[in-house]
Amino acid sequence: MRRVSLSALGGVVGILFFLPLLWVLTNSLRPGSETFAHLTLSWQTFFELKPTLHNYSALISSDVGRATLNSILVSAATVVIGLAVCASAAFGLAAFTFRGRGLVFGIVVLSFLVPFDAIAIPLSTMFRDWHLTNTFTGLVLPGIGNGMAIFLLRQFFLGIPAELVEAGRLDGLGWFGVFRWIYLPLSKPALIGAGLMLFLFQWQSYVWPLLIGTDAKHILGPVALSNLQGQNFADYGLVFAGAVVLTVIPLVVIAGFQRYFVQSVSSSGLK
Amino acid sequence: MKQRQGLIALAFLAPALVCLAVLRIVPAISAVVESFYTESLLRGGRVFAGLGNYTDLLSNKDFRQSVGVTLLFTVLVNPIQVVVSFLLAVLFTQKAAGSKLWRTLVILPIATPPAVSAVIWSVIYRPDGLANGVLERLGLPAQPFLTSSGQVLPSLILLLSWIGVGYWMLFLIAGIQEVPVEVREAALLDGASAWRRMVSVILPLVRRPLAFVLVADTVSNLLVFAPVQILTKGGPNGNSNLLMYDVYTRAYAIGDIHVAQAEVVILVALTLAIVAGQFRLLRGDE
Repeated sequence: MRRVSLSALGGVVGILFFLPLLWVLTNSLRPGSETFAHLTLSWQTFFELKPTLHNYSALISSDVGRATLNSILVSAATVVIGLAVCASAAFGLAAFTFRGRGLVFGIVVLSFLVPFDAIAIPLSTMFRDWHLTNTFTGLVLPGIGNGMAIFLLRQFFLGIPAELVEAGRLDGLGWFGVFRWIYLPLSKPALIGAGLMLFLFQWQSYVWPLLIGTDAKHILGPVALSNLQGQNFADYGLVFAGAVVLTVIPLVVIAGFQRYFVQSVSSSGLK
Repeated sequence: MKQRQGLIALAFLAPALVCLAVLRIVPAISAVVESFYTESLLRGGRVFAGLGNYTDLLSNKDFRQSVGVTLLFTVLVNPIQVVVSFLLAVLFTQKAAGSKLWRTLVILPIATPPAVSAVIWSVIYRPDGLANGVLERLGLPAQPFLTSSGQVLPSLILLLSWIGVGYWMLFLIAGIQEVPVEVREAALLDGASAWRRMVSVILPLVRRPLAFVLVADTVSNLLVFAPVQILTKGGPNGNSNLLMYDVYTRAYAIGDIHVAQAEVVILVALTLAIVAGQFRLLRGDE
């Protein structure tokens, strides 16, 4: 009896959280002119029997469509470059003992204690001086040096046994070879966890792309969507379709790597 | 040998160290330095202003209101989100049918970028939007939400909790699952009531993740920007003008970059002070 009521309570909570997204999905499948037609609440508010993909096809040729492609490009570049930079730094911290290692590690920790959004405005004035506004370089750069990702990878690298490294060295591997052929292949889960972190940082960012990339060629998805919503006669069908696409892309990525996502979340919280 | 190792390590570390230094640490230092300067039209350039920018800010009515609104917001939003995340974490770690599915539905909004969530809720809160549709169904009068001085902060808190609670819940679920099943089951056999079991058994065992969630949630809530910029522009009458948005308008709408840098410094100092206070409190009752 207790289990049934707990299950029912969980169900009510879950559905309440889900309703806004369901409403967005439903309205993305009907013409924008009908968005506010079903608001005397009924089952039709949340379900559409004659769905149309019209909004989605309109989205492809719209600013938001273009901006979504920009977001994909910028996030992908961030993950690839960021992983290379962060993994190599983590290797430097984990595989060698040298004077000043504690200091370097301290800088890494310090850098993720300063929240990025707080320094976004001073950093954007620097980027203006360097002519990096409205460039993809300017959008990608702040995402690639991620102290949290370095920290996570270092923790994982520390668990790789020294004997493996010695054996590799005896076989004639250089240090880059040790990194490339021993550390990286053994660290897939940590690399995926760090990659997810880099991806979500970039995909979810708003302050930075608003400060640095707002021209038509470089605008990112969330900024373009908020511009569209801010217009006087916004087509809400289009707004909702854009919201669905910008949510589904990270959702698919998270779901694909769910195991690593929960792992990276919980390990950062418990240490 | 050791020195050689250091050089090789440095080669691997260099790209990341340059990134962290230039993109994180230099701007933080530059904000502090620039906050002591001002643009002078007469002398055509930057001149040292001492604490001038700070005293300007402190005597500015809008800034003082923004600090007040931010503190009120902080005091309200964090306890609400931490308590709700904890209750949900307890609920979704019970053995009950469908628990996994319901939990997933609560976590889903994590995927939505905050700015997109703000856009969605701007439609929900419209006078003819979903929120008033729900109220009508419940037989309640329509509400102004974002255009009312009294309702604007609670409306933002609701939207931010929809975004954040599932995320923080994940940390607490991980913490609860660290508690051995026997301990949880033993409390059940003791006949401890559900409420007492939660307070006396689970709560002390998830102190660490709970402390982490409180601090991390507080920091992220002090930096809230997108919902304010997209939904309210700080209004009505400055009642949702959180500091992060005030910094942004000061830098780019008013165009006073040096005073804005001073405000960034104050925002970070405020964050550190609140977090330090929380650490003291958490240690104090141990």
